Amino acid sequence: MTTQKKQTGGSVLFNVLQQHGVEHVFGYPGGAIMPIYDALYDSDVQHFLCRHEQGAAFSAVGYARASGKVGVCLATSGPGATNLITGLADALADSIPVVAITGQVPTSAMGSDAFQEIDVFGLSLACTKHSFQVTNVNDLPKVLHKAFAIALEGRQGPVLVDIPKDVQLAEVTNSLEDFSQLRNKVKLPPANVGSAIALLSKAKKPVLYVGGGVGMASAIEELREFSKTTRIPSVSTLKGLGAIDPDDENYLGMLGMHGTKASNIAVQECDLLIAVGARFDDRVTGKLNEFAPHAKIIHFDIDTAEINKRRTADAAILGDLKINLPALAIPLSITDWQRECQQMKNDFGWKYDHPGENIFAPAVLKEISDKMPKNTCVTTDVGQHQMWAAQHMLFNDPSNFLTSGGMGTMGFGIPAAIGAQVSRPTDCIIAVSGDGSFMMNVQELSTIKRFQLPVKILLIDNAKLGMVRQWQDLFFEGRLSETDLSDNPDFIMLATAFDIKAKQISKKSEVSAAIEEMLDHNGPYLLQVKIDAQDNVWPLVPPNTANDKMMESI
Amino acid sequence: MNQYQLTIKVDDKQVVLERILQVARYRGFLINGMNARVNTGTNIGTIELMVRSERSIDLLVDQINKLIDIKEVKVDNTATQQLGA
Repeated sequence: MTTQKKQTGGSVLFNVLQQHGVEHVFGYPGGAIMPIYDALYDSDVQHFLCRHEQGAAFSAVGYARASGKVGVCLATSGPGATNLITGLADALADSIPVVAITGQVPTSAMGSDAFQEIDVFGLSLACTKHSFQVTNVNDLPKVLHKAFAIALEGRQGPVLVDIPKDVQLAEVTNSLEDFSQLRNKVKLPPANVGSAIALLSKAKKPVLYVGGGVGMASAIEELREFSKTTRIPSVSTLKGLGAIDPDDENYLGMLGMHGTKASNIAVQECDLLIAVGARFDDRVTGKLNEFAPHAKIIHFDIDTAEINKRRTADAAILGDLKINLPALAIPLSITDWQRECQQMKNDFGWKYDHPGENIFAPAVLKEISDKMPKNTCVTTDVGQHQMWAAQHMLFNDPSNFLTSGGMGTMGFGIPAAIGAQVSRPTDCIIAVSGDGSFMMNVQELSTIKRFQLPVKILLIDNAKLGMVRQWQDLFFEGRLSETDLSDNPDFIMLATAFDIKAKQISKKSEVSAAIEEMLDHNGPYLLQVKIDAQDNVWPLVPPNTANDKMMESI
Repeated sequence: MNQYQLTIKVDDKQVVLERILQVARYRGFLINGMNARVNTGTNIGTIELMVRSERSIDLLVDQINKLIDIKEVKVDNTATQQLGA
C-alpha cells in the first residue's frame, strides 16, 4: 500500500503549472519561498537558477516572446520581489504574458515590517496587468488558473501571485480542479468596417503602420495577405519588425526616431494611415501634432484604451486581427504611390561604405543577418547597438527579434537570450549587446555556464554609454557627463571565467572570419567588436520634432 | 480643467479601490471626492469618484474598464462641469 503525499500550497503550484503546459521556470530561492522550492524538488518542472531575480524575470520574458507561451518566474519576498519589478514593468510595457510567483512572509507576520517583508502586492499595481495575494490555500488553484488566463487574455501582460509562506505549507484538497479560460470582460464595440472600407477606397496614398500587436495576435499570415491584396506601402515599429516580410517590395522599414527616411517621409505624406496593433508611441510619432498631418486614421487594436489615446481614429476596428484584417483586404489602385515609395526606398537605402579601418557596426550586423541560420532569434539590449540591429538586421517573424521596446530596459538582452534558448534549444540565439548594457546583467553569464546554453553574444564595444553620449554631443553641447566607460573590464577574460569562448576584433578585415567562427561554434561564444566611440546612429529625429525633419549626420 | 463624476461598479475583490485610485493618479486625474460602499449580499461595490483633469474623461474610463474586477463605469453627465482656471 502506498501513501499518497498530501498536497500543499507549494505542490499545488507545480501541479497547476503543469496543467498549463509549463515545462520551464526561472527563479532564485530564498527564505519566504522555501516551501515552493521544496515542492519543486519533487516536480517535473525544470527550474533555471538565474543569478539575480531581474535576470529571472527577463528570461521569462524572453522565453514567452520566443515561444508564444507564458513565461514563469519565481522569487522570494522583499528584495527578491523588488528585483523582479523591472522585468514585470518591461513585460507590461511590451504586453508579454508572464506569471510571476513571489514568496511572502507568513500571514501572521504580514504588516509587521518583518524580515524581508515588502508590500509587493502594492508595488505590483503599477507594473502588472493584474495581481493576487493568496491568504487561503484553498483559493490557490483558482487564483493560479486565473493568473494564466489573465496573462493571455485580450492584450497580454504580466500577472503576479504573492503567496505567504504559511499558505505554501498549508495542506489543500481539490487542488487539481479544471480551469476555464476567462471571457474577454470588456465588450468591444462593433468594428467600424463600413467606414474603414470607405476610407480605404478613397485613399490615394495609404500607409500600413504595423506594430507588435500583430505578432501577439498571431496574425502574421493575415497581415501579409492584407499587404499582398492591397499592396499598401508598409512601415513597422520596433516591436513589429518581422511581421511584414522584409523582402516585400512595398515594405519601407522601421519608422520613428531612428526609422528609415523612406518610412518617415511616406508616413508624413500619406493620406490614410492604417495602424495595426500599434499605439502611436512617442518614439514613433515624434512631435505628435505634426505626425502624419494629412492622414485619416484606421486603427486596429484589441485594447479599447489605445483608440483615440494619442491620435483620434476615423475608423476604429477593435477585436481579433485574425478576423478583422481579412474583412478589409480589398485591392486598391495606388500604383503611382507604390512607385513613389519604392523610389524613396531605393534612393534612401542604407550605405555600408564606411571609410577607414575601424569596424562599422551596421555592416557587422548586416553581415550577421545575411549569414545567420534561418529562424535565428536575436535579442538586444538598449542603446545604439539596439537601433543598429533594428535598422540593419532582417527578421521573418517578430518572435525572432526580442528587444525591450516600451520600457527600453538595459540589461534585457542576455537574460532574454537565455529564456529564448531554453524555449528553442535547437535554434541559434544571438544576443546583441553594448558594453554599457552588458554589465547590467553580466551575472547571467553564470546561468549560461551552468546550463551550457549555446547563446552567442555580439558585444558592440565603444567604451561609452553610446546613445547618451550621442545625445550629449548633439543636444547638450558636447558636455559628456558620466558616459565614459573606458575602464571597462577585460571582456575576453570575463567571458573566459564563465567558460565562454571569446574573441575581440577591432579591424574591418577581421569581421567576416570572426562572424563565421562565432556562428560555427557549438557552445556559448562572445564576440567583442571594438568600434569608434564617435559613431552615431543615423538617421535621428530630434526630440519634439516632426519625423520628416530628421538629422542624417552632424 | 473639467470635473467629472464617475460611478464604478466593482466585484469586491482585493485592492480594487487602490487599483482605481492608482490608475486615476497615473493617467492625470485629481480626485476631488469619493464615496464607496459594498453590498455584502452581492459582493458588488459601488464607488463614486469625483475627478478633475485637463484630459478627456474617456481616457480614464477606458483605463479603469481594463482593470480585471470592474463591472461597469459610468460618467454622470449632469455632474460634469468646467472649472475656472
